[in-house]
Amino acid sequence: MSGTAAAPRTTGSATSAYLLVPILLFFALLIVAVLRSPHLITSAGIGSAVIVATPLVLATFALMAIAIAGRGSVDLSVGPLIGFINVVLVQLFGADVISAPLEFFATAIGLGLAYQLVMGLIIVFIRVQPIIVSLSGYLALSGINLVIMQRPGGTAPEWMLPWGAGTSILSPVLAMLVVATGAWLLFARTAFFGHLRLMGSDERAAYTAGVHIGIVRIGAHLIAGVYAALAAIAYTALISSGDPTQGTTYTLISVTALVLGGTSLAGGRGGAIGSLLGALNIYLITYVLATFSFGEVQSFVTDLAYGTILVCSLLLTVALPRLQSTLKHVSPLLFFILLFIVAFGVILHATYDYSAPAGTEAGAGAAPAAAVAGAFLFEDAPARTAAAMPMLAHPVALATVLLVALLAVLRWAIAQARTRSLSPLVYLVVGAVAVLAVYMLARPAQTAAPAPATTQGAT
Amino acid sequence: MRALPLLRWIGLGVALLIAAISFGLGLWQNLPAQQAMFYAAATFAAVAWGWHHYAVRPGEHAASSGAGSGGKSGEFWRRYRAAIIAGVLIIAVFLIASAAIDGFFTWLNIIACLVLVALIFLSAGLSGLIVANRSAFIGLIVLGGLFILGALKVDGFASGANLKSMLVFASFLGLACVGQTLVALLGGLDLSIPFVIGSANVGLLYIMGLGVPSVIAIILILLLGALVGLINGILSFRLQGQALILTLGVGFAISGGTQILTSIGSKFAGNVFGQVPDWLKNLAAMNGQTFGLDVPPVILIWIAVAILMVLGMKNTVYGRYLYALGGNRTSAARMSISERRYWIGVYVISGAVSALTGALLLGWSGGGFIGVGQPYLFMTLAAVVIGGTSLLGGNGGYGFTVIGVLVLQVLTSFLVGIGLTYEWQQFIFGLLILPMVALYARSPHVRTQI
Repeated sequence: MSGTAAAPRTTGSATSAYLLVPILLFFALLIVAVLRSPHLITSAGIGSAVIVATPLVLATFALMAIAIAGRGSVDLSVGPLIGFINVVLVQLFGADVISAPLEFFATAIGLGLAYQLVMGLIIVFIRVQPIIVSLSGYLALSGINLVIMQRPGGTAPEWMLPWGAGTSILSPVLAMLVVATGAWLLFARTAFFGHLRLMGSDERAAYTAGVHIGIVRIGAHLIAGVYAALAAIAYTALISSGDPTQGTTYTLISVTALVLGGTSLAGGRGGAIGSLLGALNIYLITYVLATFSFGEVQSFVTDLAYGTILVCSLLLTVALPRLQSTLKHVSPLLFFILLFIVAFGVILHATYDYSAPAGTEAGAGAAPAAAVAGAFLFEDAPARTAAAMPMLAHPVALATVLLVALLAVLRWAIAQARTRSLSPLVYLVVGAVAVLAVYMLARPAQTAAPAPATTQGAT
Repeated sequence: MRALPLLRWIGLGVALLIAAISFGLGLWQNLPAQQAMFYAAATFAAVAWGWHHYAVRPGEHAASSGAGSGGKSGEFWRRYRAAIIAGVLIIAVFLIASAAIDGFFTWLNIIACLVLVALIFLSAGLSGLIVANRSAFIGLIVLGGLFILGALKVDGFASGANLKSMLVFASFLGLACVGQTLVALLGGLDLSIPFVIGSANVGLLYIMGLGVPSVIAIILILLLGALVGLINGILSFRLQGQALILTLGVGFAISGGTQILTSIGSKFAGNVFGQVPDWLKNLAAMNGQTFGLDVPPVILIWIAVAILMVLGMKNTVYGRYLYALGGNRTSAARMSISERRYWIGVYVISGAVSALTGALLLGWSGGGFIGVGQPYLFMTLAAVVIGGTSLLGGNGGYGFTVIGVLVLQVLTSFLVGIGLTYEWQQFIFGLLILPMVALYARSPHVRTQI
């Protein structure tokens, strides 16, 4: 690679250049999705997105832990494992063995750990190629799933039903997602993770350097087991029943998400943010395609799109090192912010056009546009509070956003200023754009502030 | 020391000969085929053991006497540790099952159990003798054991009709594995095979439905299959470590695209209806005939392909260069072998042969169905691996894959015969792949690679 001679600090951004593709794809898809169907960015839309995407995200994390460990190990059995935990939980609940949340989590995590421990032991001590071990697990588990439960059925416990409703953003599933992602980010700071990456990129070097590669590999499998168990719980919440037949699809989709997220299947590279974006991209692809209503051929179009996007993203990953010299100075974070601003503008545009006429039709006079514009996210509660104290809320909110934005921009500017990766000027420009965006957001509010608000947007 | 391998092979040959004679005698005496087969296997085992013990062992001891070793029993334990443990386990399972299940303790079951134990010892004892092609040897032993078990336990297992049906299914799997084997020899993987099979299956019927003559339609489908392979090869050349996932993506796209194309203007999306020509049906149907013989042509096609592949890989420049590339890229490049050409070439072959399989499957089923290739997604991989072709490249060959295919097919047939449902079959497949691969395809420890 060309970045060998670069200063240590700049390699930080160079190694995460693989994030650029998922970020670009994410915002492109987000913009298309919002333009096609603004329902996505309502409270219910985001809620259901969280519910649907969480199992996929967690499955992708599970895959990532093993993929980073190297030796070309893609855990093909992740889908059947999720199905296995799912049907075991539902059957155990049906037999009145387990019912409380704690028991559910303990059983699921225990199963996931046990399975991955066996897999890890086989790979480390019998030394069969990991892909064959996972293939074997795939076949065995998809068989045993159908033995445990012949056809989709059964029910999830009462306390789990509201989890899968997806009517509001804040749900236990979201909490699970946040905790899982946070746990990964913390895990990525440990020495163990460093050993894992070292082993993934060069096992011999790791061994020579005194890393206990057996323990590290088994550890990676155990982590994957925990994430697969969490994915299974989120999946159970999503479908509120047991389904033994989803194995193949889930494996294929989550491998696609993993690759879309920029994790190298050769080992040694991968990150939570990338995988998160990859899984969200998969969800958005499905969502966008669903808005087109292809009728009978819908699933075929989805297949075609998955395949094409997977191949294109792989090819882009190949082309990336060649663009490295150009991209070296592009920070993914900056890229994210820039695109976020663009996407935010589009979202505002879409929701504004969508809801403003509705407000006037309701006969309540011109609704405060900021309340409407701001209501796109928090329709239920925040819109009402905004209606209660429109005069006070806006300036406060505005000032808060401005302050946070300024702080963040300053933080990045200082952090980056010591390097030659990017001149702080760019950050100032970004800051200015952010300020402008907030101003644009706030300006309509001044024009229509006195009018009473409606909660029309909630419908 | 140099004469030893020769001695071993002679011993094997003698054992096989005697077993064949005993089998012939048994048939001549009008014994049931199952008994004759069992006695033949027992004779083979006894002769091979005797030869090993009296002819090969002393020579071996003479050869390695300088090394010096511990007590004889200790050495025996060390050498046959795994086999002894496995044998004891099987006997224990058998005893437990006899105690737990009524009517389990029958003569047939006792014989089956003894055969299993004997086979384990046989393979453990003999595999030490055979250094090269160990996987093929183990595969053959497993194949033989499974066949004997099947003949003992399942009525009509060794009948002509069942053999024919097994061979027909094995032909489909075997043809689907051609590409996978070649690709694996270069260290790649092709997961687009099932999707190409399904697409060819549906696409062929669709093209014939448009009024294209069937022969031209098949040629067209083969060319399209090769085109998919070409795309696979070109795209994955720079992404060799990720060929698995890339071909999977291409496969998804191809099968989605085919279905969209074929269901335009159709009321029944995903289903294509049409008339399959009789000659294509005859080619693959169970009651097909070749030149008046009562053998479905697809079996002969597979045999021809297998012979062509085995001989071709051994004797042609193309075949040798494939092994050279799979073994060591750098040294192959020094011999100015174009890696790109061969990499793309094997994928093209894989695509074309997969399309052929799809076309033949259309003749077998008589109706187009995109999901017809789904069982082959991991089955091709399993057959290649069980046969003993290394997924890392450079080791193995189509002959091995044929053994793998037959093992899988006989196993399926056996499991169906004893009344296991599909899910149990899959479960047992999964559990069996691991020990089979562990017998001969273990990777070396890291500490030996530094």
